[in-house]
Amino acid sequence: MATESVAHGITVTEADRRSARRRAVRRRIGNVARYALLTVLAIIVLFPIYITIVNSLLAPSQISARPPVLFPTDPTWGAYSDAWNQGSMSRYLVNSIIVTTLIVVGQIVTATLAAYAFAFLEFPFKRTLFLVFLATLMVPFEVTIITNLTTVVNLGWYNTYAGLAVPFLATGFGAFLLRQAFLGVPGDLRDAAALDGYGHLRFMVRVAVPLARPAMAALAVFSFLGAWNQYLWPLIVTKDARYRTLQIGLRQLRATSIDQVNVTFAGVVIAALPLLILLVIFQKQLVRGLTAGAVKG
Amino acid sequence: MRRPIRFIATAAALSLALAACGGGSSSDGGDAGAPCPVEALEAADGPVSITFWHAMTRANEEALVRLTNQFNESQSKIEVTLVNQTGYKESLQKFRAGLTSGDLPNIVQIEDTGTQQMIDTQAILPAQSCIDASEYDTSDFIQRVTDYYTVDGDLYPMPFNVSNPILYYDKNGFRAAGLDPEDPPSTLAEVRAAAEKLQGAGYKYGWGLKLDPWYLEQWSAKAGKLYANNDNGRAERATEVVFDNPTGVEIFSWMQSMVADGLAVTNSASGTNSFNNLLGIRSKDVGMTIDSSAALGTIEQVLSSGEGGGVEVGVGPMPGPSGNGGVLVGGAALYMVRKGSSPAQQAASFEFAKWLNSPAIQADWSASTGYVPTRRSAVDEPVLADKWRRSPNFRVAYDQLVTGPNNLATAGPVIGAYQAVRDAVLIAQEKMFTEDLAPARAIAEAKRGADAAMLEYNQRVGG
Amino acid sequence: MTAVRFWNRRRREAGLGYLMLVPSLLIFSVFVFYPFLRNFYLGFFRTPPFPGLPQRYVGFDQYREILTSPYFSNSMRVTIVFALLTVPTGIILGLFLAMLANQQLRGIGWYRTIFSSTVATSVAVASVIFGTLLNPQVGLLPWLGISTTPSILENPKYALLAVAVTTIWQNLGLSFIVMSSGLQAIPDEIIEASEVDGAGPIQRFLRVTLPLLSPTVFFAVVVGSIVAFQSFGQIDLLTQGGPLQRTNVLTYAIYTALRGEQNEGKAAVLSVALFFVTLLLTIAQMRILERRVHYGD
Repeated sequence: MATESVAHGITVTEADRRSARRRAVRRRIGNVARYALLTVLAIIVLFPIYITIVNSLLAPSQISARPPVLFPTDPTWGAYSDAWNQGSMSRYLVNSIIVTTLIVVGQIVTATLAAYAFAFLEFPFKRTLFLVFLATLMVPFEVTIITNLTTVVNLGWYNTYAGLAVPFLATGFGAFLLRQAFLGVPGDLRDAAALDGYGHLRFMVRVAVPLARPAMAALAVFSFLGAWNQYLWPLIVTKDARYRTLQIGLRQLRATSIDQVNVTFAGVVIAALPLLILLVIFQKQLVRGLTAGAVKG
Repeated sequence: MRRPIRFIATAAALSLALAACGGGSSSDGGDAGAPCPVEALEAADGPVSITFWHAMTRANEEALVRLTNQFNESQSKIEVTLVNQTGYKESLQKFRAGLTSGDLPNIVQIEDTGTQQMIDTQAILPAQSCIDASEYDTSDFIQRVTDYYTVDGDLYPMPFNVSNPILYYDKNGFRAAGLDPEDPPSTLAEVRAAAEKLQGAGYKYGWGLKLDPWYLEQWSAKAGKLYANNDNGRAERATEVVFDNPTGVEIFSWMQSMVADGLAVTNSASGTNSFNNLLGIRSKDVGMTIDSSAALGTIEQVLSSGEGGGVEVGVGPMPGPSGNGGVLVGGAALYMVRKGSSPAQQAASFEFAKWLNSPAIQADWSASTGYVPTRRSAVDEPVLADKWRRSPNFRVAYDQLVTGPNNLATAGPVIGAYQAVRDAVLIAQEKMFTEDLAPARAIAEAKRGADAAMLEYNQRVGG
Repeated sequence: MTAVRFWNRRRREAGLGYLMLVPSLLIFSVFVFYPFLRNFYLGFFRTPPFPGLPQRYVGFDQYREILTSPYFSNSMRVTIVFALLTVPTGIILGLFLAMLANQQLRGIGWYRTIFSSTVATSVAVASVIFGTLLNPQVGLLPWLGISTTPSILENPKYALLAVAVTTIWQNLGLSFIVMSSGLQAIPDEIIEASEVDGAGPIQRFLRVTLPLLSPTVFFAVVVGSIVAFQSFGQIDLLTQGGPLQRTNVLTYAIYTALRGEQNEGKAAVLSVALFFVTLLLTIAQMRILERRVHYGD
């Protein structure tokens, strides 16, 4: 093998040149095929989104035209204002933002506190309590809705922001994730901080949290997506537009505009847009957040 | 993995205490024959505020808002606040949730099917007790309407928005198929013949068959047959359905053959596809269909809005099996809520419900929405008479409601487990259409499922 | 340092530790463990359809009735079939797109963005889009020449498949992102080394890439299955459990029992079943799959 390849390197024959050319041609054909495949797949993935946008721009007279309009020749924004105003999408958007913010902030705070305790403090039953946190991961939320609904109703939180957010203010996964990050904080730093007279709280805020920023961002993205996309819980604890979130609002909008596809689709765009914008801005954190669980078991 | 499981046992200990103290149930069911405090309104010091949960949307909501404002301005004793629950199902659900949370209205609009369930909540004030206490005269009401909401001699809700199923078709399509656009089919056989002609004239389907189990109830009544035992559940709580009679088999067989022969296309009665039978008329896929008269105005508007237009909406009485009967009342009615309402509020609710049922208001309501007026004298009011002269389509639902005998069959069934019974009927029909289940066996299966559901509900309710 | 001071410090530290855990534990007790355990208890009672009426203790009767009913076995079957339809397909498609986009090509960034774009859609967004497009009257089916009787979402043969396709599309972006980051974590040298070994692309994938990617795939299978078992929104928006209960997944059955039938007892029994099914599935996957996972150092 070795001698052959050396020989190849030295004597460049006509046959070699031809095969090199053939390889180049093949590579170019290969590239064309790759682009073709990529493009076809991209079109398939994007088509539903594309058709949604097109339909949202149709004039009422073009809805359910046959054959369907596949290009907005004469785009109108009427459907957007219908969805935004009569369809209450503006209200739903505000509700979603409020509830999601409450949940994300709440989860980060409770998870940071718990993770810090598990990573830096010693106390009896620590291991057991950590398992309590992990055990919450084994209980799907769907399994708890019956009693949670009763609890929320009894607390007077039915159809309120509290009812939507409070059950989600703690996260076993987040505590686990941040604990891992805190465990990565070098022990020397802790000792040095102790010498400087830092108490636990100061150390947590000034040293541990900043060092765990990537994990925090990952958790934020993770909770954000979870909270923003919630469906079942908002469906059962809200009763009117004042507290309905975007996802449930979309259900409502569709129910009231069955013959107005353009309004329904405008609502879809309104519901998807905020997430799309955030994803473009926070792409790196998103990837990390979504893959946080996959990296280390 | 082993550790978390062991842990769950630990957590069990932790929150078992909570579980133990949270399980108790209070039973504060009230007496059903509560007296109506009609005099409490007079005795009230200031104006009495009442909340009205309704389920009206679009044009119907606009009309209700207008009428309510009119009521509020017309007097100073009662102030009505409307809360839109956006749908009948939602209303009932919120009402049930409110029985626990205490978030209840003083008056609530509940779908026609909810009579037995509302009685079972033990939270309502029967209209009959107010009618008796104030000697309110109901003789002008359409008898089919009051019959529908009367159980064991007592009228439970006050009627409000009445509808029933009617035939929708495209007159232009009828002309093209050589059918008389002014004489739509009235029997099942005629529907089939017309569907064949329409298909010959280019329609994909002659008939749009919405899979709404309501039609089995309607058609049983039209044939003069009972749907449930114990006098359709009006003498005593119904314990089984009785639709597995020759009429039921005839209805199922007709549906099955229409679909099997490609003359009819089915569409679900729930979800996004629930209007496809009507939208099919707009797109000229479907020649005729049955649907509720409730949204006739909206339907006419939508059907004539199609690309290219060309649809002239025709409306006729609901075709159905032959027999000595008539259509059932659909729509919704107003329940006065006892639980959580002060005597003055209960009296105020009755006043408002009476006002909504006055001839002039019913005429206005009917003219603005297309609902059938609840009483006969409303028909003579100029606003409704004019409307019907201009758009005779709106008269059809009224006319068919006052034709035919008024008996136990046309009063309609009262069943607590309404939804579950309908689900059982729907599943049997779906099996018939998609799995070739024979009509007679399908109806037997529908009965089995319905009876089981009724037994379950009745056990849960303690009956 | 005297023993007393040491113990004081230990006590203070333990106190702080517990204090930091309190917020999370409070939420977990009230909204996870208590409702979870109360399910077992509720299952012993026949619930009246309206609150205020007496409930009846029936022991294990209700468990037996429901768990042996055809309604439950159908629901169970649908749930499993749905997971089988969505999870493997989603992972394979995500992996395929990730491999395709993991090449040095000009403009590949655009394709990556497109392939991850559906991450911005929620279950509600995806379901409303597909539900509308699949509607035979207002959607695109007639134009595409696809016509089934009854229409797809009302057809016992296709309804679950359509729900699955919607779900796969909605999760494709996520699957693509997770698989891509898994692929990018594989050192280039290892791939190159195998190329030198003369392994063909398929061999290379099976012998090198896949084993190295196995932690990511494992994660995707476990989490994907749990998510699939909790699917609700797409059923609610597309089929409401029909036709012929062919899409009546367990979560939807729970929802119907709770909201439609107002039957807490039945919903509780179904919730208990959902919990154990999820638990068993996760354990089984851990047992069977984890052995095959290759964790690199």
